[in-house]
Amino acid sequence: MSDTLRAHVDEDVCVGTGICEATAPDLFEVGDDGTSHVLLDNVPAELLEKAKEAAANCPTRALTLQ
Amino acid sequence: MTALLPEADSVNLSDLAFWALPPEEREAAFAALRRDRPFAFYEEPEVPFMEKGPGYYSIVRHADVEAVSSQPKLFCSGEGATSIVNLPAELNEFYGSMISMDDPRHAKIRRIVSKAFTPKMLEAVVDSVEDLCADILRDARKVAEEGDGTFDLVKHISSPLPLRVICRMMGIHDEDAPTVLEQTNFILSGGDEEFITDESQAMMQIIQAGQTLAGIMERLAEERRETATDDLTSALVRTEVDGEQLSYQEIASFFILLCVAGNETTRTAISHGVWAMHQHPDQKARWMADPSLEKTAVEEIVRWASPVIWMRRTATQDAEVNGQKFKAGDKLIMFYNSANRDENVFKDPFTFDLGRQPNPHYGFGAPGPHFCLGANLARREIAVAFRQLFEKMPDLEVAGEPDRLKSSFINGIKRLPVRLGGGA
Repeated sequence: MSDTLRAHVDEDVCVGTGICEATAPDLFEVGDDGTSHVLLDNVPAELLEKAKEAAANCPTRALTLQ
Repeated sequence: MTALLPEADSVNLSDLAFWALPPEEREAAFAALRRDRPFAFYEEPEVPFMEKGPGYYSIVRHADVEAVSSQPKLFCSGEGATSIVNLPAELNEFYGSMISMDDPRHAKIRRIVSKAFTPKMLEAVVDSVEDLCADILRDARKVAEEGDGTFDLVKHISSPLPLRVICRMMGIHDEDAPTVLEQTNFILSGGDEEFITDESQAMMQIIQAGQTLAGIMERLAEERRETATDDLTSALVRTEVDGEQLSYQEIASFFILLCVAGNETTRTAISHGVWAMHQHPDQKARWMADPSLEKTAVEEIVRWASPVIWMRRTATQDAEVNGQKFKAGDKLIMFYNSANRDENVFKDPFTFDLGRQPNPHYGFGAPGPHFCLGANLARREIAVAFRQLFEKMPDLEVAGEPDRLKSSFINGIKRLPVRLGGGA
């Protein structure tokens, strides 16, 4: 088991509010399809706090860290 | 809140007179409801020509608003989100668009425009927000200098900024902007006599306002079908959902929603921000001295203003929220203004604190699929407005009381007199 976390967006739920993109722009971006996309396979250590903040503040709770 | 709280049972949120009370009295009433009657039931307000419905529960605590808002399958928007009274289905859709719609249709429609409102896309808009704001402040100063040194903040600053930004994003021609402002005022007048002089005509006036906006949309959509640009109207006419283009009515209601929501809310936040900093000069001095306060300051202004007071949900089945049982069909009104003053969530909720952190306010709505589409844009507009006000109008001071909109739905300010060069 490694400590690395992966961010996951539930595309059925995400409506692209962009709150994650505002919180961690290096990690998330809303695409042309109107849902958020994860830009990096693993969450780098220096972005971990931002990633957690983004997940906690996702209005649709579409964003999880696993 | 130090004032004695009123009897919770004496509060009637359906009485329009309640919404004309001074803000402190309304705050105290909601504090009493949060403490003693967190799920108070009210008769519905009378609306001419509409059948009176069964009544509604007021949801006033932060945790309860969150529970309702974040369970859209139990508490839906499709029966109407912006009207307590059930509107005829056509009207509901026409004025609500996706705000009164449920997933999956809601999500599909919303995603058409999501991209345009993300922080990265808004980077491109920010320059134009800066330029527009600079123009607007220059014009406002001119009004003051050519007159008696005063002007109306709402008319000359808080209204034009969001109006011109949303018109530009949607591709609406400059000459149509005044009409957009006028008609959105009608739609969100909430029964205020200044806009709706004869209550029996209210529905007709609102319908006419919608038709006028639809007319603007129709002309614009025609142009964009021939030559698409990168504006929102082009996206609406071009996009297919489930392999089909949006219908005329869907485009019209979407267009109206963006016009209305993009205008009234940010205007209200900017006006309340100026008024609040007048009442709390220490906070204004603090922000002016420390521009890095911008992020928390903008959030506190939105919490303080709570521009949209409520949204409605309807129970789709028997359900329970924090111990309170609801039956299928029950109407629930989520009072964001009350959630934003909840003593159990906010430390000193009645203190205006531009450095407040954490600040989990519901000024943009509570968690759920309907979270404010324009939140990122509104934050930019408010930040730019105050930064430029501090830089370019450090001599601005409030010269009178705000003239408030009498509405349960929008915490609006119709006029706020200000003056420049106060004594200097």
